[in-house]
Amino acid sequence: MRYFVFLSLFLLATTARAADFAQSEAWLAAGHYQNGESSIDSPSFFLSKDGKKNPATELEATIKLFAGKDDEKKCLFPSRYLLLKKAGLVKSQFPQCDEYEQFKKDLQPAGVTLLFTDAYMNNPSSMFGHTLLRIDTKRKGTQLLAHGANYGAFTGDEPGALYAVLGLTGGYFGGFTVKPYYDIINTYNNIENRDIWELNLDFSPEELDFFVAHLWEIGQTQSRYYFFSRNCSYMLMEMLDAVRPSLKLARQFPVHAIPLDTFKAAYRAQGLVKGMNYRPSRQNKIRHRYREMTPKQRQAYRNIIKNKQFELPADMSEAYKADVLETAYQYVQYQYVAGDLELKEYRRQSFDALRARSKLGDKGRIGDDFAGNPPLQAHESMRLTVGAGVRNGEGFEEVGLRPAYQSLTDNSFGLPKGAEINFLETRFRHYDEQDKYVLQNFDLLTIRSISPIDAMFTPVSFQIRANVERWQNPQNGREGYIGNLTVGSGGAYAFADWLWGFALLNTKAAYGGFLPHNSWLAFGADLGVMADFGKWKILGEIEPQWASQKIGQQTSYKLEMNYVLSTNWAFGMQALYNDARGDDEEEFSAGFRWYF
Amino acid sequence: MKKIYMAAITAGVLALSSNANAYDSTGCGLGSMAWRGQSGIVPQVLAATTNGIFGTQTFGISTGTSGCDPNGRVTGGTGRMLLAFLENNMEQFALDAAAGEGETLVTVAGILNVDEKTFAGKVQNNFGVLFASNDVDAVDLTLSVMQLAKA
Repeated sequence: MRYFVFLSLFLLATTARAADFAQSEAWLAAGHYQNGESSIDSPSFFLSKDGKKNPATELEATIKLFAGKDDEKKCLFPSRYLLLKKAGLVKSQFPQCDEYEQFKKDLQPAGVTLLFTDAYMNNPSSMFGHTLLRIDTKRKGTQLLAHGANYGAFTGDEPGALYAVLGLTGGYFGGFTVKPYYDIINTYNNIENRDIWELNLDFSPEELDFFVAHLWEIGQTQSRYYFFSRNCSYMLMEMLDAVRPSLKLARQFPVHAIPLDTFKAAYRAQGLVKGMNYRPSRQNKIRHRYREMTPKQRQAYRNIIKNKQFELPADMSEAYKADVLETAYQYVQYQYVAGDLELKEYRRQSFDALRARSKLGDKGRIGDDFAGNPPLQAHESMRLTVGAGVRNGEGFEEVGLRPAYQSLTDNSFGLPKGAEINFLETRFRHYDEQDKYVLQNFDLLTIRSISPIDAMFTPVSFQIRANVERWQNPQNGREGYIGNLTVGSGGAYAFADWLWGFALLNTKAAYGGFLPHNSWLAFGADLGVMADFGKWKILGEIEPQWASQKIGQQTSYKLEMNYVLSTNWAFGMQALYNDARGDDEEEFSAGFRWYF
Repeated sequence: MKKIYMAAITAGVLALSSNANAYDSTGCGLGSMAWRGQSGIVPQVLAATTNGIFGTQTFGISTGTSGCDPNGRVTGGTGRMLLAFLENNMEQFALDAAAGEGETLVTVAGILNVDEKTFAGKVQNNFGVLFASNDVDAVDLTLSVMQLAKA
């Protein structure tokens, strides 16, 4: 009887404790519950029938699992075990789990690092970046033997466009894969030419254990993948929250998770980050080395690239020769990956460079240690603009909102220069005389990549633009809306680091229902000059256009200036003159830009 | 809205041609890994929407080995680990070996549990032996590196 009373009291106490614990931050974060529902979609992740929506029954079922004998199942939930053990809700031992033990043995975890990979050069749509996690290793040597955990969509053999549509609409399931870190470096640094930024996280040994256990646990599951919201970066936020619930990172991204924003959020979280490291892409290593060379070294380097013979002036010092040969070798690697060299010739050039290099005793003078363009300096991704101006003699006030991400004249601190991606930019105006409110412009999407051609790299500059804008009929001055789709490509040239010019050829399709001839195709050019003085940026463009309807015939002249007040504040000015062979338009406006 | 956005991306993307031309029979020598997972600009732009993983869905560590040693010439845990590392890192290892310093030398010295500095010197001095031909493959390289480290 006394035993029975004691047991009942114990059970009662446990039940009460469990009821509290079911609503604790630690349990909710470990189950990936957000607003009453778990983000994990695999049914196998839930032990109770309504576990996806009910953390309390899920906790009950988990306590029951660890009180029972199903060891195989217990092995799938090591992080829940750690949590419940700590809370005193489980008394049993964790079973022997061979696969899980092997996983830990292969990792030899020593810490966790959050990785951010920059944009592809010349691919603005990758400007949002990508994030993944690294499980640092305590193996002797370097972190090359660590492992990266990547969250992504499991895709099939679909044709390109379908692939993207499925990626955007939740048609794929996402999950974790774990690969050696050197594989990740090869993919990003060497094949895709993207920088990698490493944020070393300050986890206690207990947190590290929990992380590895939780990665194993989530690794067994899959969840619907959405490009904008439930993507790679969002899932990593939930992973970090599970380790340290007080971080509350995931809830900062209820609608969309841009990788760079999540990287910044982790960096800003108090006590989470203990250090940062930079791994430049191969292309940036080559650029850096070339920039650091003396004129004589550059001359020798250019001769090598031109003649493909790895000979150097006899009077050059060994250290200087080493710089040139090592850089030339990297450039040969770059060309091979770009598909510009056949295998045999690639190997011939590679080993000619290295055999010459191995005979030099001295170390090179230029290393691969340089600061890069840290993405943490980048402005926030939403932009609000407020300004005023004059159009054809009439004053107006304007408000604009752009959810993402970067225009050519926004400051490029921490972001690739010459890359533009404007998504859903919307501008409204109030005209004073007519006292009228209008939607002036809606940019569905603008992508522009202006990337200079030089002796080593020959990128194509391009633009894609889909928008709806307010437009003036040059024959009678009436205004209405037209929709445009513009696609163009060409080249750019850097006259100096701060002065770039570009020339693109465009094809455009336009439709404006209010016009007498309401649709046309146009062919045009876009000639531009970009000057970047750090705080000041100036962009001038001339766009002549020949259209299949006379109404679309025009030449526009644009001048845009931006002055940076602080990372997230700027003052912008724009002048536009549109020679429409009829009623010409002229416009001037100025205003503030706020990034938030 | 997402669909319209996609249509715009797709339309634009189709205007840019793909130039993914993979080379065949690169074997396991220099440059043999450079093409793995390589794709043209169109797949790259689209890949940004899914961060796609192609292939196996069972959770675990994928080692990244490509089957360079079908006859099992490299034996032992250390040897196989070194082979996996060298076949995936030969381009950087060759550069570091020629320069007598670098991350891959530190890593290999760690795998073989030998002194970094001594190993780096040996490798640089014997560069011509390790890379006797332009087509030296990862298995030969692994065996000669192991021998050199012991010597």
